[in-house]
Amino acid sequence: MGRRKKIVQECERLMDEPENIRNIAIAAHVDHGKTTLSDNLLAGAGMISDETAGEQLAMDTEEDEQERGITIDAANVSMTHEYEDTNHLINLIDTPGHVDFGGDVTRAMRAVDGALVVVDAVEGAMPQTETVLRQALREGVKPTLFINKVDRLISELQEGPEEMQERLLSVIRDVNDLIRGMTEEMDDIEDWTVSVEDGTVGFGSALYKWGVSMPSMQRTGMDFGEIMELERADKRQELHERTPLSDVVLDMVCEHFPNPVDAQPMRIPRIWRGDAESELAETMRLVDESGEVVLMVTDIAMDPHAGEVASGRVFSGTLEKGQELYVSGTAGKNRVQSVGIYMGGEREEVDQVPAGNIAAVTGLRDAIAGSTVSSTEMTPFESIEHISEPVITKSVEAQTMDDLPKLIETLRQVSKEDPTIQIEINEDTGEHLISGQGELHLEVQTQRIEKNQGIPVNTGEPIVVYREAIQRDSDTVEGISPNRHNRFYISVEPLSDDLVDTLRMGEASMDMPELERREALQEAGMDKDDSQVVEHIHGTNILLDETKGIQHLNETMELFIEGLEEALDNGPLANEPVQGTLIRLHDAKLHEDTIHRGPAQVIPATREAVHKSLIDGHIAMKEPMQDVRIDVPNDHMGAASGEIQGRRGRVDDMYQEGDLMVVEGIAPVDEMIGFASDIRSATEGRASWNTENAGFEFMADSLQRDKTMEIRERKGMKLELPPSVDYF
Amino acid sequence: MLTFVGLGLYDERSITVEGRAAIRDADRVFAEWYTSELIGTTVEALADHHGVEIEVRDRAGVEQDPDPILDAAASGDAVFCTAGDTMISTTHVDLRLRAEERGIETRIVHGVTAQTAASGLTGLQNYRFGPSTTLPFPWAHGADGLPASVTNTIDENRDRGLHTLVFLDIKAAEEEYMRADTAASLLTEAYPDLVGIVVARAGSPDPLVDGGPLSDLAERDFGDPLHLLVVPGECHLLEADALETLADVDRKSLDVA
Repeated sequence: MGRRKKIVQECERLMDEPENIRNIAIAAHVDHGKTTLSDNLLAGAGMISDETAGEQLAMDTEEDEQERGITIDAANVSMTHEYEDTNHLINLIDTPGHVDFGGDVTRAMRAVDGALVVVDAVEGAMPQTETVLRQALREGVKPTLFINKVDRLISELQEGPEEMQERLLSVIRDVNDLIRGMTEEMDDIEDWTVSVEDGTVGFGSALYKWGVSMPSMQRTGMDFGEIMELERADKRQELHERTPLSDVVLDMVCEHFPNPVDAQPMRIPRIWRGDAESELAETMRLVDESGEVVLMVTDIAMDPHAGEVASGRVFSGTLEKGQELYVSGTAGKNRVQSVGIYMGGEREEVDQVPAGNIAAVTGLRDAIAGSTVSSTEMTPFESIEHISEPVITKSVEAQTMDDLPKLIETLRQVSKEDPTIQIEINEDTGEHLISGQGELHLEVQTQRIEKNQGIPVNTGEPIVVYREAIQRDSDTVEGISPNRHNRFYISVEPLSDDLVDTLRMGEASMDMPELERREALQEAGMDKDDSQVVEHIHGTNILLDETKGIQHLNETMELFIEGLEEALDNGPLANEPVQGTLIRLHDAKLHEDTIHRGPAQVIPATREAVHKSLIDGHIAMKEPMQDVRIDVPNDHMGAASGEIQGRRGRVDDMYQEGDLMVVEGIAPVDEMIGFASDIRSATEGRASWNTENAGFEFMADSLQRDKTMEIRERKGMKLELPPSVDYF
Repeated sequence: MLTFVGLGLYDERSITVEGRAAIRDADRVFAEWYTSELIGTTVEALADHHGVEIEVRDRAGVEQDPDPILDAAASGDAVFCTAGDTMISTTHVDLRLRAEERGIETRIVHGVTAQTAASGLTGLQNYRFGPSTTLPFPWAHGADGLPASVTNTIDENRDRGLHTLVFLDIKAAEEEYMRADTAASLLTEAYPDLVGIVVARAGSPDPLVDGGPLSDLAERDFGDPLHLLVVPGECHLLEADALETLADVDRKSLDVA
């Protein structure tokens, strides 16, 4: 029997013992060494050869990942590890660190109970460290810390013991400050800060495969001084053999991360809003493998042979081939064709996957990342929160007409696999729009279409996505249908930031029970009376129906909402989406006969009312912003801050960190296109930098008209605004 | 001067003599063909018949951009015509008001309308009809299934013992005309036991009147459009006689006062 086969068998045996299972994710800022660390763990568990760990990047299975040297998709793998004489099954997800792929990280967190946060000892906690920590904690996932690249402190920076200790402690302090800040208001989480003494912090070098922690020092008898000596003397192989990284980290995983039986009672109330008293809630809390099957899909991937593979966490019951399962949000059932687990980059079919594990399933053709799949009809899990909305759009066109149907199918597939990608199919022009988190995000996705699907495409220049939003309350305005028999009276108001966030996070939506929605809206500051007449939510806009007893309004409402959505999706300034609006419907006058208040009448009337009120509310363009952080040697600091300021940006802070200067600021995404090469040449390649999407901000009044006209021209719209737009 | 001319029910001969005179004397003739149409003829044949040019306006060209019509009426004699009557179910009062607002004189030449035919052909008395309603194609309205406005109208009329004239949806641009069997099958869901009276091709040389339970009507073919449907309320003695004789209805199925 091959080694691999043996491991699969051992995994299958361990799957039935939830106490010995750990579901974990490795998450970090880009380039802090997650994937190299994952490879170490795999090698330690005997999954790949010891020599190649670190170079193989076994978890970066896509060709482009290995080329770019970064992880793009979250990858799954299972391994076994013996800790305190008991064999443990560890289901690991490696997540991308680049800001553009944040959606993958959030989804991965849903499937796991522990997050190993990796931080580069030289760079310290970076903006993405904060983001991944927030993503983990919000999902109720417990963190531990691994400080990587300690070899560089010793060999490269030649730091002495005190200097080094100071640096490592400051990293721990920073991470703990973040954890404390984020968990302050979570009453179900006790102290989740990490410490060396507790053994929740490890140090080491993923590149040279050695690691150390308080428990490991006690076990091996090696102290830090000895480690420094060996590292300095370039005796890294000996270091690796005497205190291997994988043992240190996997021991930490087994000791400090909760197993599913401990984790699920705390996580279920966080991520599931169904009836806590129900039998289903009970089986999920107990990780009952004989209960109803409940699978939360966190990822969909394409397998050239098996087709779509859904992976996710089994919270209850046992997944088996042939089961007919409900998929949330769709009618009917899907039949499970196969179930499996992940070994390295490959899927291994097994007979069954019981509660508490991460499973790979084929046959769930209706599932998307985020679906709840179950053997009984149930309240779906909370929608997985995506922190960022798309900010960049690109047009994609098939080079030959023959590829058109295939391209459309592929684009739909892409958005199914990665819900942070939005697709707009235009069958008339053949020019489809793909929107995502950043330049790199779109570049990767479009290249995959070309490479993996073999469809040659033409792509347009990246275009920034704008928003339109009002700045003040409007008066009540009238929208009149073309036949003038139907009239709608509405006014609009800007929603508070709290309410907008609540809507963006999906904490209040039309899918949830009415009472719960009311409570969520009131909690975010909505007036009680208002919360009782919410008729519709579209994006971050809310419609209130304040009318009473208007005949026929019931059957007209659906058309009104259709008109409203259309008017909000295409704002009055430049057809960009409108956000953060409270719309009050005060009154409506309707024709007696349906035929005279059909779509041709009601939709234009609604559109007119909405756009008139938005203009009366002084609607203006908002543009997406990015937080920028540049780490740069002192003598290039001026050039670096100039790169921010020269892009309509603002430098907020500059400070010394180690031997580098840190420049922090904010700049519009529009101006950040091409930043990578500019900063490189401005600083002779000495800067490392990072950006993070920072929401939308109103553009300066002086830019409003020009930007609006620029977008209108690009979209082939009339180059004049309604005369009532007179406030810029 | 803006003269509204009803073209009547079926073809170029359905117009009144006065309407014909108005069209032939006009400087410009406009028509809208989107609410209904003369099923027995075409715009071209109609224009030839009267020896005039007819400018057909689409919905946007009447409702959103009526100025060409109003300009023509301000500077000369313009006629605006529709099938049936311009003011009954097509509700062009809006255009008339816009003309009045601009100080343009307006005049109406009435046309024969479905309302007349419904009474005339079935023998049901116009005194005993309640409000009429339009049954839209299921894909063309916002509500699920039968719109409440249709069932409410029928229910309220029946509560008061009144007949209901149900206009059947026309999508002239797509050449789709709802047939009485389709209408009956839609209505059967709400009214499995009711009797309906079909009026087909009113105003043509071979009009048809036929009645029976809606569930039976749903299975039958009443030939070429246009069709309309009447849901009788309580029938006067003579009305019942008329339905029995003219529409072949089983008297026992009627609610006879």
